[in-house]
Amino acid sequence: MDPKLDLLYRLADDQLILGHRNSEWNGLGPILEEDIAFSSMAQDKLGHSLQLYGLLHELGEAEPDTVAFTRNAPQFHCCQLVELPIGEYDFSLTRHFLFDHAELLRFQALADSSYEPLAQVARKLRGELKYHALHANTWMKRLGTATDEAIERMQAALNFTLPYALGIFEKTDAEAEIISSGLFIGEDELQSRWLESITKVLGQTALTLPDLATATPVFGGRHGQHTEHLQPLLDEMAEVFRLDPTADW
Amino acid sequence: MYGSASTHDLPSTAPTGLENEDPILLAEFEARIARGEKIEPGDWMPALYRKQLTRMIEQHAHSEIIGSLPEGTWITRAPGFRRKMAQMAKVQDEVGHAQLLYSAAETLGKTREQMLVDLINGKSKYSNVFNYPTPTWADSNVISWLIDAGAIVNQLANAKGSYGPYCRALDRICAEEAFHLKYGHDAVVHMATGTPIQRKMMQEALNRWWPAIMTFFGPSDKMSVHTEILMRWKVKMASNDECRNQFLDMYVPKIWEIGLTLPDANLRKNEETGQWEFTEPDWEDFKRVINGDGPCNAERLAVRRAAEENGAWVRRALSAGKTHQYVRPLA
Amino acid sequence: MIHSLDPRMNRLGLPETAPAAAKPALDQFETYEVFHQKKEGAPFVYVGSVHAPEADLAFLFAKEQYSRRFACTGMWVVPTSAITVTEYAGDTESAYDTLPLLPRSAAPAPVDESVEQEEAYAAGEEDYDIFHLKKRGKAHQHVGKVRAASPAEALQVAKAVFGEQRPVVNVWAVRSADVLHSEDDDRDIWATTTDKKYRDAIAYKVQDRIEKFKAENPQA
Repeated sequence: MDPKLDLLYRLADDQLILGHRNSEWNGLGPILEEDIAFSSMAQDKLGHSLQLYGLLHELGEAEPDTVAFTRNAPQFHCCQLVELPIGEYDFSLTRHFLFDHAELLRFQALADSSYEPLAQVARKLRGELKYHALHANTWMKRLGTATDEAIERMQAALNFTLPYALGIFEKTDAEAEIISSGLFIGEDELQSRWLESITKVLGQTALTLPDLATATPVFGGRHGQHTEHLQPLLDEMAEVFRLDPTADW
Repeated sequence: MYGSASTHDLPSTAPTGLENEDPILLAEFEARIARGEKIEPGDWMPALYRKQLTRMIEQHAHSEIIGSLPEGTWITRAPGFRRKMAQMAKVQDEVGHAQLLYSAAETLGKTREQMLVDLINGKSKYSNVFNYPTPTWADSNVISWLIDAGAIVNQLANAKGSYGPYCRALDRICAEEAFHLKYGHDAVVHMATGTPIQRKMMQEALNRWWPAIMTFFGPSDKMSVHTEILMRWKVKMASNDECRNQFLDMYVPKIWEIGLTLPDANLRKNEETGQWEFTEPDWEDFKRVINGDGPCNAERLAVRRAAEENGAWVRRALSAGKTHQYVRPLA
Repeated sequence: MIHSLDPRMNRLGLPETAPAAAKPALDQFETYEVFHQKKEGAPFVYVGSVHAPEADLAFLFAKEQYSRRFACTGMWVVPTSAITVTEYAGDTESAYDTLPLLPRSAAPAPVDESVEQEEAYAAGEEDYDIFHLKKRGKAHQHVGKVRAASPAEALQVAKAVFGEQRPVVNVWAVRSADVLHSEDDDRDIWATTTDKKYRDAIAYKVQDRIEKFKAENPQA
């Protein structure tokens, strides 16, 4: 695949699927105010994916609605982390923390991309991503130093989620060209920045980052291999859209 | 999204307790309201005023948080980016409105936690329409447009009421609901003027929802001593019938102009009186549903209970080692 | 299990019957009062409260509850318990008139920025932010800072500095150290509402579609 398309599809699909997942918390959050904040971030993710699908459309791909609502799981390039069901709040917060740190650093790097339209989008998202990271950090620090119950839950969530989070950095065949053409710094560099960033926050908590050497990254998502959760998610998301494909909703 | 001030469920024989109030303070209080000044939390107020307002604002808050559920039903299935993002934003707003209203009610002395617990335990009421299901996407659109439209009629009236914190919350809520109304109308118009499948879905949803919409403002007010006092104190700002008539006046033509029909052969405007005529809603059924026997009552409360229970560990963790005591909001 | 029309609820697995025991109330968090700034240079205005266990979370919550829908360039968050409140006056009166008089040696003055913080602190004084409510039903608005040794004294100083303004229905005084301010470095977190037209009423323009429908369906 063309390196630009390859990169954009991975970014856009991640944002769409996680935004969709996080929207499931709408009205079910642990505190009214947090319910509102979490919903805003889910909306932001949808907005990011829309902008990225917009770039894909400019490059000749189908309309954003068509791309988002009519493909099936094997055509999706998201990492498996974002497809997992929302579970309990410990998991959803941990996923948010691990994913949004990578996202913040990714878009910071993309602000210097040789592909100017993407660099522009990346610069525009800066304020939102900053809030997302602030939100994630505040929660991790707070729950990661609170009651034994909370620390135990968050540690278990971290242990479970980390291998999936490493799947964010799965490379594709286009990786070398993506780096050499100055599109993006590459997944290895991003992962090392990410590790430094999350280690710093976790260092202020009672939580321990599991040993990366023994964690097996959950790969496959970037190549169309997904968990059993993605296709039902897509079917649900497109249930109305597919009722009448000719309709303007 | 709240319809009526529900003073109708007060027994007309209930004592007002006014004879126990300090006559000088009561006269000052009434004079302030008569001058058009708002009452603020630091002011003296009669017990009946505090009680009725708490009840009304609390019911309004519950109606927002429960009201987010029938539209939330479609949050993961909204078709296309535009609708998907707007549906999320709208449901989010309803939760936000609940937050604002609980805060306003708290200034009167009842804690938010107590209100939420009363809701879950089935001790408090909320707008009855939310005990009905939204089997299709079109049903959700009908709520977004017409239930919000009804709520705005009621809320604009209440925003002229006498209690400062409630007015402040309502000003913000009405500003946000301008989006809901436009979004709902936009979605309904797209369906009603769309493909045959869409038109059919929309007409069926409207037929399902119309009887509930007609009950949204509550039965005709019984003029009792209470109603008279609450109107004088600007707690209740307009009669249920006035609100319903205003709603019909504004929205029935908008429904008809996009080719939709309403399932009431008697619905028409009497041009001489300016009043709408319609088949009297089934108030017995309304009573049955409001008292717990509707199609979704159990689910609505079960959802709130589940949200509270699943979030309890988070709240316990956050409360650990807290240094400050709860103080109710100032304004 | 309750079978719901909402797939999210089916994933929650709601029990068919409510537990027999009524749900007890959990502890309340403390409350924070929130002030927002509509545009650069404008005074901070009261918007409402949030429940939170600490200021950092209160700020996270306040940001989305009070700035997600309308323009905002900055936000202050204050623990409710840190605010000193006067009596409420009528819409044509001044709350300052009901303040008890306190003896005060030096003539009160607004914060003199040229005086070093340390000097004032050494004298036992601190900065206080003062907010006025001009009309019942409206919102408190920041009018400025005073320097004083206690909240009661801060109100006295405020009376001397801002007391000429009328009407003043109610005054809030809060130690500036108790105000959590949004950071100047984080200004970009506020500049994000413009791209969110989907939650703006003006984004929905449907009249053309209605007119077209009516033209094509004259019988409707």
